[in-house]
Amino acid sequence: MGLFKYTIEKYTPKQLVIIPLALLAVSLLLLAFSTLTTGTPVQLGIDFSGGTAVNLFTTDSKETLQSHFAGYPLNSISEGVNDGKFLTFSATDDATFRELSALIAQKYPDAQINQIGETFGKTLQYQAVLALIFSFIGMVIVIFISFRTFVPAGAVVLSAFADMAITAEAMNSIGLQLTMGTVAALLMLIGYSVDSDILLTNRVLKRQGKLHDKLQGAFHTGIIMTSTTLAAVAAMFIVSWIGSVQILMEISAVLLIGLVADILNTWLTNAAILKWYVQKGDGK
Amino acid sequence: MNGAQWKKLITDWRVAALLILAVISIVAIFPHLDNQGDLATNLQYGLDLQGGTWLQLDIQAEVVGFTTAEPVETFVTNLSKKLDTEIIVVDANHLEIRKLYSQAALEPIFAAEGGKVTGYQQGVSKATADDVKRILENKINTYGTQDAKVNTLTGLNNVARYIRVEIAGVDMNQAQQIVGKQGKFEIRVVTTANQTEHVLFGDAITNVQVPSQVPPGSNHWGVSFTLIDAGAAAFQAAAIKYGATVDPDNHNLVMLLDNKTVYSAPLSPDLAAKVKTSPINQLYASTGNGDYGKKEATNLEVHLRAGALPVDVTIAGSNQQPAPMGERYKAMALLAGIFALITVGLVIYYRYREPSIVLPMVLINASEVLILLGFIALIRFQMDLPTIAGLIAVMGTGIDQLVVITDEILHEGKVPSPNIYLKRLSRALSIIVIAAATVLIAMLPLALMDLSTLKGFAIITILGVLVGVIVTRPAYGRIIMEILSR
Repeated sequence: MGLFKYTIEKYTPKQLVIIPLALLAVSLLLLAFSTLTTGTPVQLGIDFSGGTAVNLFTTDSKETLQSHFAGYPLNSISEGVNDGKFLTFSATDDATFRELSALIAQKYPDAQINQIGETFGKTLQYQAVLALIFSFIGMVIVIFISFRTFVPAGAVVLSAFADMAITAEAMNSIGLQLTMGTVAALLMLIGYSVDSDILLTNRVLKRQGKLHDKLQGAFHTGIIMTSTTLAAVAAMFIVSWIGSVQILMEISAVLLIGLVADILNTWLTNAAILKWYVQKGDGK
Repeated sequence: MNGAQWKKLITDWRVAALLILAVISIVAIFPHLDNQGDLATNLQYGLDLQGGTWLQLDIQAEVVGFTTAEPVETFVTNLSKKLDTEIIVVDANHLEIRKLYSQAALEPIFAAEGGKVTGYQQGVSKATADDVKRILENKINTYGTQDAKVNTLTGLNNVARYIRVEIAGVDMNQAQQIVGKQGKFEIRVVTTANQTEHVLFGDAITNVQVPSQVPPGSNHWGVSFTLIDAGAAAFQAAAIKYGATVDPDNHNLVMLLDNKTVYSAPLSPDLAAKVKTSPINQLYASTGNGDYGKKEATNLEVHLRAGALPVDVTIAGSNQQPAPMGERYKAMALLAGIFALITVGLVIYYRYREPSIVLPMVLINASEVLILLGFIALIRFQMDLPTIAGLIAVMGTGIDQLVVITDEILHEGKVPSPNIYLKRLSRALSIIVIAAATVLIAMLPLALMDLSTLKGFAIITILGVLVGVIVTRPAYGRIIMEILSR
């Protein structure tokens, strides 16, 4: 693969980790900042905060829509392609929602409606947080059992953690909210971000040969692995973006960001730590 | 490759297993032309791809852990009166209170009756949840909707709080009318002037007849219905206790739907006499004469048949997908899948530039998706958008592992001898197994999460990983060996 050369020989481990670690630090700071200001590290979508999202196709103007739904807690109206309109409402009580859905059915029978009640949203939020924590712990356990040495295993875990933190902050920056779809993508990232790390660690620690050749070889294979996944995900993103299939778009967008972050974290952070570990003489 | 080599390759058990599974999958998916000459398959689609509505209902009741020094029966009877609702003894330590009270509200009331709240969870016992499910299913069937699913989500301690109802081809309002705006049916008996007492709930009614004339041809309409034995006993006990058998006219039996009176009438002298001596299962509610009576009877029938849930429910979440949008999503999903396979193929070709390596890789990748689809068709799993995202992700990562195998074997560009080949293959497989285990573990919580709409996604990803590790990777290892050692 001749696109660019992976030559990390001339840099010391410290120099290599500086960019991704700075990125991680900035992400963590921004996530902490948004936790302080908004209460959560990432913006919660309707799945978790509760509320109603309505997706409809109409030539009616924003003003018309606003007047139709004047009696309800309408938060925002955004416009998409082909006269697509996307409306969000705050969570309401049961009776109000029934009225609202009846009104939507009467005015726009072909609308797509997604509604989550406030307490149900809280329940989902709790479950999603649990799922993320359990996934991460599970991943850590698998990695430590597989490698059985602290530094290489720790490097993989750190790199996966950095992937998630950077992706979460990137979601904030581009306005992607945390929904069921994006949680799934983050979980998937836990699983998939480690496979190039595993390849790297395996090649460097279990093979004979010069360190740089092994790093080169691993990169040669690893970058193709990430590229194929990127290609599949990019295909999904493009199609779902053109076809405005919200959930597929969210999942693929988060995976795209995560995979790019993973390239940095695998081939700079993780590689640097391994290089340091091997040169220190603990590895072979 | 010559014929003998082909034969040897195909009869290798790894390759044979893959081929057999692929064939079974095609049979399971069963692509065919339907009556209209359109392409059809056995695959089932979720609501987001075929249009329809799901409602997540939140049960307004609670299961409470308790202790009491009083005899349980007295305690429960007193409590039931105070809380003005039915209370079911779930087991020695748990009560089901069929009306929503907070724990803080219950504690003083329990204390006043000589008991103590030791645990609290919103929801109902599994038995009640099954009842609710059955009633909902009946109700949906009565409305003639074919494609519907009702699932109760039971938590760890056997308390069910949420019920998910999925109905294809209806909009949210219809769905709400069918299930959400479910009435709570109750029969009460008038005790004194304005007071009534609970007799039974809709769940005690088993069978409701269509409106009929009694005597036949009299133009005097009504509905007959059947009570379960416990219901008949409760009916008799209440009728006797509150004097409906002795003085029917001052002790009307009142039927309530959502706490609104839908019917009120005294026991007929004939029935009053019968009830005095034995429980009666078969009851007849007369509604009046002529067209008015007939119309009232039809309404009453719906009220009775709709059979009302024993507990109140609210809508916790809901989703309406219009059918045309579902169709469009389906097309988009198919497009995304094909597009993904092509781009993955291009990246692989860019890397290896060798059709004899690229072709098997892409075919293996496609076969993996095929086997997953076959499995989905076989277990009649409803494929939704997240499942498709899972399939596409499986494509992207499945090929990763084929790359690991290929590169590991092709290391330093030399074609290996069989011995070295096996050593390298096992090294590649060890990388793959660790990666697969991580994905599996990472997806497991989502697959186990009851409330998640992404269960399908997680299950498919896990299955994809398993199919990969167990079936397609070993087969690929065998095929690539044949190709490289040419």
